[in-house]
Amino acid sequence: MRDLTIDADRLARELGGMLGAAVQRDPASLRAHAVDGLVPQIRCAPKDTDELCAILRVCDASGAAVIPWGGGTAMHWGNPPSRADVVISLEQFNRLVEHDDANLTATVQAGMRVAALQELLGGRHQCLAIDPPDPQHSTIGGTAAANINGPRRMAYGGVRDLVIGMKMVLASGEPIKAGGKVVKNVAGYDMCKLFVGSLGTLGIITEVTFKMTPLPETAGTVVARGSLAQTASLIEALFGSVLTPAAVTVVDGRVAAAAGLQPAEASVAVWAEGFTETVARHVRDVQAMAGQSGMTTEVVHDIGHRRLWETVRDFGAVGAPPVVFRLTVPPADVMPVLAVVCRLSDGGALRYVAHAGTGTVWLAFDTPAPVTAWFPRLAALAQEYHGHAVLAAAPPEVKRTVDVWGPSPQALGLMQELKRQFDPHGTLNPGRFVAGI
Amino acid sequence: MALSRALLARLKEIVGPVYVLTRPEDVVVYEQDAFLVAHALPDIVVLPGSAAEVAGVVRAAHEANVPLVVRGAGTGLNGGSIPIAGGVMLVLTRMNRILEIDPRNRLAVVEPGVVNADLTAAAARHGLFYAPDPGSQSVSTIGGNVGNNAGGPHCLSYGVTGNHVLAMEIALASGGMTWVGGRSVDPPGYDLCGVMVGSEGTLAVVTAVVVRLLRKAEAARTLLAAFETIDDASQTVSEIIAAGIVPTAMEMMDGVVMAAVEAAIHAGYPADAGAVLLIEVEGLPDSLPRQMERIETICRAHTPRMLRTAASEQERLLLWKGRKEGAGALGRLAPSYYLHDGVVPRTRLPEVMRKVVEIGKAHHLRIGNLFHAGDGNLHPIILFNPREPGIMDKVVRAGEEILHACVEAGGTITGEHGVGIEKREYMRWMFSDADLLAMQRVKRAFDPSGVMNPGKLLPLGTRPDVTIKPVMTAGMWT
Repeated sequence: MRDLTIDADRLARELGGMLGAAVQRDPASLRAHAVDGLVPQIRCAPKDTDELCAILRVCDASGAAVIPWGGGTAMHWGNPPSRADVVISLEQFNRLVEHDDANLTATVQAGMRVAALQELLGGRHQCLAIDPPDPQHSTIGGTAAANINGPRRMAYGGVRDLVIGMKMVLASGEPIKAGGKVVKNVAGYDMCKLFVGSLGTLGIITEVTFKMTPLPETAGTVVARGSLAQTASLIEALFGSVLTPAAVTVVDGRVAAAAGLQPAEASVAVWAEGFTETVARHVRDVQAMAGQSGMTTEVVHDIGHRRLWETVRDFGAVGAPPVVFRLTVPPADVMPVLAVVCRLSDGGALRYVAHAGTGTVWLAFDTPAPVTAWFPRLAALAQEYHGHAVLAAAPPEVKRTVDVWGPSPQALGLMQELKRQFDPHGTLNPGRFVAGI
Repeated sequence: MALSRALLARLKEIVGPVYVLTRPEDVVVYEQDAFLVAHALPDIVVLPGSAAEVAGVVRAAHEANVPLVVRGAGTGLNGGSIPIAGGVMLVLTRMNRILEIDPRNRLAVVEPGVVNADLTAAAARHGLFYAPDPGSQSVSTIGGNVGNNAGGPHCLSYGVTGNHVLAMEIALASGGMTWVGGRSVDPPGYDLCGVMVGSEGTLAVVTAVVVRLLRKAEAARTLLAAFETIDDASQTVSEIIAAGIVPTAMEMMDGVVMAAVEAAIHAGYPADAGAVLLIEVEGLPDSLPRQMERIETICRAHTPRMLRTAASEQERLLLWKGRKEGAGALGRLAPSYYLHDGVVPRTRLPEVMRKVVEIGKAHHLRIGNLFHAGDGNLHPIILFNPREPGIMDKVVRAGEEILHACVEAGGTITGEHGVGIEKREYMRWMFSDADLLAMQRVKRAFDPSGVMNPGKLLPLGTRPDVTIKPVMTAGMWT
């Protein structure tokens, strides 16, 4: 067994010798980088890959636990770390390396903020079709590492589908790359897939190459209000049709109000974008389907459309309520699952955002009390539908009582072996991933 | 390789004696795939009928420390299913049942031996289809498609196999079976399902696959344009993308292939044009006329020799016929050919194509070209007569130079065919020792004893043995 206590002063001196002023030990800054209440002893911000490699070599050799840090917007994800000694911030990896617009690809450093990237891409009429919460702060590397997806996933795919290349540094300080800059590439194992969603436990992502999407000509949203049952029948009609919306999302009355809509038991928002004719057809057809389900509709554009989808995007992540669950089930099972959840909560303090097109249901509670009772129930419910329930956010003392990822996956043994192969000393984000990987 | 009687007896016990082949005249059928320039005999061929039988065979091979090579329909183009180290070959074509189609959730659960086109035919009853459409789709199996991360013409907007596989059940060398991925998105843990896709049988054996199905678009429009030069056609492709239009397919053929197709099926291509471009857009009919207008305008700016749109489904299929039979038609031009697969950023297509022409000239080889132009995925086809002494060296060298040009232009050595034995050593052109070691780590986690398809995908430091067979037939798959 390795000695798990580290000599922070000595480590700070060693890192300071390499990085100079970029090593911070000021208590306020360290407290701001606590993960689930665990305050690191050192924070550093390497200026390039060479420095990052050097830091990781030193940390890995000295047994220091490393917490990779992007924008800090997804730090509530995962189990509380078993140790947290050195926070490595990617803030200096903040450049758009290349936007090859003619080839619909862009290569971005991991620490770049999503909003800053989107602005540059927008200048050339393209975007990255991923909508993580809080894009002003969230970073590209964090979005990839934590596999943060947004409402439009049903039309454009998830992070795993849009990443075509990556650079990363392993715990040993070894830099590697995966994939490339072309949209089709089957040379060797698809290592990008392994790192997307690995929550920084296999290596630190320093650069990502994505497929781009042309900015749509226009966009608009139809919102239909009614009961849960009406919502379910509208969604069934919609998915039985030839329509190809960008997002189909159901929200409860409180979320609707926050999004600037008239509250109802349930509201379903259908986002259409693309060519003008396509959007017009979606609006027309969805309104007709909603009418047949006896629902009232309104169409929102521009500011209304943006406000609605920003509320949906940020739900459960920005100004986060104490407890957030994420349920993933096959898409057609979203409404049955939501019906069960609403019945269980019986008008309680539950808020939800459910993406019916991708099968992702977000549930938020305003008090931590429900975790003990709800988590096993939600896990069982999700499992019944071939899905999963994850505790996405909760106070640390609550998180310590469960595995936030739910029951261990069948292939846990393989996952643990992969972790051993890539990070034999358990240096990176120890304890935060499934079953304490 | 001398295999023990004990292993043979055990295999017969697992799958039944009739499904274990050892006689030379039986196993010779499995000595090669569609990578026509190499071959090797398996010692034993096993045709299991169920996942449990697969697991048993995998465990037996592992315990006997004998190489295990998995094979579907044998349409692979990289030699990935050639048993270069002998051993047990696991042929999964008996496992060809569609276990479930769930139209509400738009997914299907299939055994690995299900033929790609059969799945789409079954899904069509529900208005759905399976998107990846490799040229081999009427023969190749989903298991093989998964193993090689197969692509196809319509990947431009739909993505490759990896984007459509939700989960799979795998048998590991250790003897265990497990599901990876899930019917719902984002199952907790590492994306092992994503890693398995394209792993060419070197990690584990797939025994069942959950794939995503898509709803058929309401309408499609297809346009065929013939241009003076490949440059003109390539420029057209780039400008369509730049206009914010991503068609479902943009396929190109050069003059050599066009001439062969014209001779074979009389598609009505202008005899002396340099390139023909086939463009398809899908979606709601409301938006298609204007999209087609814009595409036509861009085409016209490059003075096409011919511009033809399909007015009916029948006409559409006719336009596609030329493309689909392109490679097959080349059989008219030479006794054999070597079909390559490289990718470049699509804007670099014209310059890389000029290089391909130069390389052909330098080696006195005739090269025809088929492309998934929208993806920058080129398929140079080197035509040759295998009876010509010393020809194979020249063909292999020309192919290497072409792939080198792709990598130099910022591309890759394979876009959809995979690495296998063919491109194993070329991996070093793209990846450092550290990059390859990381892949080795993945291999070790899945297959610590190294029995799964040895000698494939990862470089060994020695050239693969590429030998000519006395008689070769032209391949068909792109």
